[in-house]
Amino acid sequence: MSYYEEVIHIVLLSLFVSLASTLIASLAGMALAIPVALKDFRLKKYIVRLSETSMSIPPVLMGLVVYLLLSRKGPLGELKLLFTPAAMIIAQSLLVFPIIFGLTVSAIGGRGREIKKNCSALGAGSIDTLILIIRECKVQLFSVVAAGFGRAISEVGAVMMVGGNIKGDTRVMTTYIALETGQGKFGEAITIGVILLLVAFVVNFILHGLSNIDEK
Amino acid sequence: MKIRLIDVNKEYSGKEVLYIDDLNFEEGYVYALLGLNGSGKTTLLQCVSGLDSFTSGNVLYDNCNFNEFIKRDISVMLQSPYLFNSSVFENIIMGLKFRKSGKKEIDERLDAYVNCFNIDELLSKNTRELSGGEQAKVALLRTAILESKMTFLDEPTASMDIESTLRAEKLIRTMAKGQRSVILVTHDLMQAERVADYVIFLDKGEIIEQGLANKVLNFPEHKLLKQILNRGDGNDKNSDINY
Repeated sequence: MSYYEEVIHIVLLSLFVSLASTLIASLAGMALAIPVALKDFRLKKYIVRLSETSMSIPPVLMGLVVYLLLSRKGPLGELKLLFTPAAMIIAQSLLVFPIIFGLTVSAIGGRGREIKKNCSALGAGSIDTLILIIRECKVQLFSVVAAGFGRAISEVGAVMMVGGNIKGDTRVMTTYIALETGQGKFGEAITIGVILLLVAFVVNFILHGLSNIDEK
Repeated sequence: MKIRLIDVNKEYSGKEVLYIDDLNFEEGYVYALLGLNGSGKTTLLQCVSGLDSFTSGNVLYDNCNFNEFIKRDISVMLQSPYLFNSSVFENIIMGLKFRKSGKKEIDERLDAYVNCFNIDELLSKNTRELSGGEQAKVALLRTAILESKMTFLDEPTASMDIESTLRAEKLIRTMAKGQRSVILVTHDLMQAERVADYVIFLDKGEIIEQGLANKVLNFPEHKLLKQILNRGDGNDKNSDINY
């Protein structure tokens, strides 16, 4: 594998793992967060506190948990996912989920309740109400997704542990930068660092564009 | 639709803010809910319309409890209506879309109602570009266009100019024809006199006087209402309200 082929593979794998984990965490996080944001119940305060605490879980700790789950003697060892991109997606999804959940609860909050009440006032069903809440809060929700993607694309500790940083297989931009820096190859590390920044910028630009569709 | 409230109350954090032992809303009337700030008008409207619920007691809608079918026969204009981030046209027909109305029905109703306020030129505008008064017109129209059996309006004309208010009142009268009724929350006693058939006056969460609008507003019996209307004995000429 030439240097350029390796770089392309690293960039594409980074994008795939980060986008997949952001998508999974966004679907799960928002699906759970929207009902929590719209309803009052006894445990709500504790759930929100827990999600806020989970936002600052150290990636290496999450990496360790996923490693233990997926290791050969772990409960999910038979799936043989350790040191594969799937393991990296699992670890990153678990890291991104609390961010998506917590920020969505905040983003929907009072405005979502107001929209829900107005929808009920006009006789809307629950599906219509949900669609309208998502549509009305899409700018905020895309910002939440962007924050989640930011966490995923910049993550290094967990993917290093569960992916193994295997050349041509599970090596992503952040683990490549860590490796090259450790070897004193600062030129390669900086090159990939610049590409990482560009990729993050382009994805955020696209997300911002999507959030402004139909907006004047 | 007939609505009957039997021994209902509403509490917030254990404190009772509304208590009504018996109240009926019949078909074909405009009811005005009157009262000072914090008297429980909006709470009553929201609980009867199903947007909120009473802490205890029974509310019967044509002798049935509140359910999804009844929800379709009720529409509400809230005190601070939220207009969706789309065109005026989309906002006005939003409720009809929720009710799965066909294009023909939507077009017919739109033609019939848009003229109430002459807002044709606003239809393509985004609601964020509207003034407060224009927003109130759109909110009233999107409620009126549903032609629900029971319509609840919470201070619909609060931000309208006098001309629009008179147009809105004319529209409200048409919303209580046949088997349809309107329950209107207002602070404007003159408006209640112009529009309402029946007046319910609340104070501190309880009904202190109710009856036909002409009778209650011209010959009030309760001291507070007399003072507000300034139509009592010599002492009532003082505008200060004594509890």
